[in-house]
Amino acid sequence: MRKSLFALLTMLMVASMILVACKPAAPPPTEAPPEPTAPPAEEPTAEPPSGPPDLTGETITLYHFGDLSGPYAAITAPLIHGAEDAVKALNEAGGIYGATVEIKFADDGGNVDEAIAAYDRFTSEDDNPLIMISYGSGEAEALAGRFAEDKIVNITAGLSAKAFYGEGSGYTFGLGPIYPDQLAYTMDFLSENWDTYKPAEAGDEIKLAYISWPTAFGQGALTDESRAYLADLGIEIVSEDTYDVSPTADTTTAILNAQAAGANVIWTNTLAFGPAAILNDLNALGLRDQFVVASDNWAMDLATYAFLADPAYGVGLITPFPYLWWTDTDNAGVQYTQQLFDANERSAAEHNVGYMLLVTGVDMAARAITHAIDTVGYENLNGEAVHDALIDMSPFEPLDGVMKADYSDGSRSPHMSQIRMIQGGPDAFVVIQDWTEIPDLRPSK
Amino acid sequence: MAVLRPAGEFDTSYASDMATIRQRWQWWLLLAFVVALYALPFYASQSVVALVNRIGITIIAVQGLNLLTGYTGQISLGQASFMTAGGYISALLVNNLGWPFFAAMPAAALGAGIVGLLFGLPSLRVKGFYLTMATLAAQFIIPWFTRNAFPKVLNGAQGINVQVPVLFGIEFNTPQRYIYLTLTVLILTTIVAHNISRSRLGRAFVAVRDHDLAAELLGINLFKYKLQAFFLAAVYAGIAGSLAAHQIRHINSETFNLIDSVMFMGMLVIGGLGSNLGPIFGAIVVEMLIEGATLFGPLFISLFPSTAAGAVQALRPLFFGAALMLFLIFEPRGLAHRWQLFKAAWRLRPFSY
Repeated sequence: MRKSLFALLTMLMVASMILVACKPAAPPPTEAPPEPTAPPAEEPTAEPPSGPPDLTGETITLYHFGDLSGPYAAITAPLIHGAEDAVKALNEAGGIYGATVEIKFADDGGNVDEAIAAYDRFTSEDDNPLIMISYGSGEAEALAGRFAEDKIVNITAGLSAKAFYGEGSGYTFGLGPIYPDQLAYTMDFLSENWDTYKPAEAGDEIKLAYISWPTAFGQGALTDESRAYLADLGIEIVSEDTYDVSPTADTTTAILNAQAAGANVIWTNTLAFGPAAILNDLNALGLRDQFVVASDNWAMDLATYAFLADPAYGVGLITPFPYLWWTDTDNAGVQYTQQLFDANERSAAEHNVGYMLLVTGVDMAARAITHAIDTVGYENLNGEAVHDALIDMSPFEPLDGVMKADYSDGSRSPHMSQIRMIQGGPDAFVVIQDWTEIPDLRPSK
Repeated sequence: MAVLRPAGEFDTSYASDMATIRQRWQWWLLLAFVVALYALPFYASQSVVALVNRIGITIIAVQGLNLLTGYTGQISLGQASFMTAGGYISALLVNNLGWPFFAAMPAAALGAGIVGLLFGLPSLRVKGFYLTMATLAAQFIIPWFTRNAFPKVLNGAQGINVQVPVLFGIEFNTPQRYIYLTLTVLILTTIVAHNISRSRLGRAFVAVRDHDLAAELLGINLFKYKLQAFFLAAVYAGIAGSLAAHQIRHINSETFNLIDSVMFMGMLVIGGLGSNLGPIFGAIVVEMLIEGATLFGPLFISLFPSTAAGAVQALRPLFFGAALMLFLIFEPRGLAHRWQLFKAAWRLRPFSY
């Protein structure tokens, strides 16, 4: 029995090695992440077609995966309808040179393992996937290497610096500025306007309390670069605390710690029930007027209002805002998004950043694919061509300026943002600083 | 179960009496099954291979929990945290010290085992519900440690990227390649777990589980065997954590969480506690349920767009919870027991006695 087992195991090990060796060659090692290349037009892999191609009968598939059943579901669920409605409208308008665009979605439950499963499923269904849209920082970080290896463009709302600029990444592009940039940008603004926005009893110096989720997303704004930037601004981080990723999380201890440490600004890198927990607890403690509460862009959304004990608690929240909002009705892209929303009879709860951003994301994807087809031709269309197109098109403004994208100069996240402040009920996200360039704190590898 | 052997099958030696697989045709069947698994990348899609990969790694973690909970009766909700320990140790050894994965994985298993020992210490003083709570501490302390200790090395909540295993220049960087690692390790851990359950150690575990006072009166050192069970469970978790981290290529404090620990326990209940087949059946069923919920979600949304968003959030826990509840009510001994009954019924056919 023992001899048989030993023989069987030896055979299996040998067979494994033979089978591994028999599999198709691996993609090249990832140690050299693809840096932005020269504009594709200079080095086309084939002669560009002379006129617009007719791709009638062809299908171009976009993929996206996000959290429908986990902690981020409150904000990601409307993304699906945003994407579906945008693709439907795109096809009604003729698709991409006549090619029908389809979109496939997978729920990853906010779980990295499931996101990888979705990635594997999509890549096994399609020999030539071009673009995958994702939402979580953890997912973006874990998959960054695979996207670069397989040369698939990842457009993501998970704005972790590591996903964009970590070792082996290179195909991950942001729908917003990375979180360290957002923190630095907001603190820049507060430094310059401290007298206007500081709490009544605060001193002249900004003392920051970083109270956030203990996750890749929650801790995503605090990097060596952002710490150094804040130090240069003379801002001291006096308190760092975490709280549970839960709608019932208690932040009172963290708030009291911040108060004891002399903080006058709270930054939370969270969304939906994340900022709501802090705002609710600040009001419950009667300390709301002692702190400026600032957060990442996702915090300023209707999803946050769903968790506020009183809508008035949201007033005063400050965040970077790297896109337009539904109330900016003078913008053609916003008007278009509103038309889609109305035409498809979406519910009021979906009138949020997720829907808006996915319509923008689909427009961005379609423009990049179109540009890539123009450059290398449909027969040579692949993820690498789309990657190069995004760089070549930069700077550009998806959906008539709903967002300002710029992936040139090695950057893979936008550099322009507004700052907004809640000054009233839901939707009253008032611009307190118009579009300006944000600090560039991309990490050294 | 000896009475349920096919007619005419007798043991003629001690070796045949101890054998797990008695018939030549059973060997061939097993070999064919293993070969079919190893050949999976040649005939199955990448997503199927990736799913089998995940199931394989999960089975290893649940096998460890089975040694602790199924055989020794010590309930633990910390198995996923020991995976975290194993994953981090392996990742750091490979990334920072340049160890090959194949040396780092055993070291990670050993390291996780030592961590498991620490959290097993309360098992002498407390049991049942209280021990469950004590093991739950691991699920909070270990992730906290990885988030807050040695930030320059562990990189806080952001976690660390993990290199893919390389052997003789071959990178295990796709599910089609990784599955050979997973399957080989799974076969080894299955053989070891099976043999542990048949050894003096396994019998001591069962004695501790069935009646600890009686076991102690028989000369079994409770503390020693309970700690050994914790150590082995954590070793298995360490192996699974190492495999998973290198497969995911990233690890942070969230990669293996409390939900995973609860799921492992559920898998064990569904598969069958105290049976070597239990972890295999349980992991397959639960992973398939999760996969089903994942695939069903978007379909549900397209069918019921106005009401689906909230409902889909509940699908995965709903599927898992319903399966767990049904098994607890109708088959508390799990699928492994059902499989024994099925085999017995088949062998006795057409007689039911």
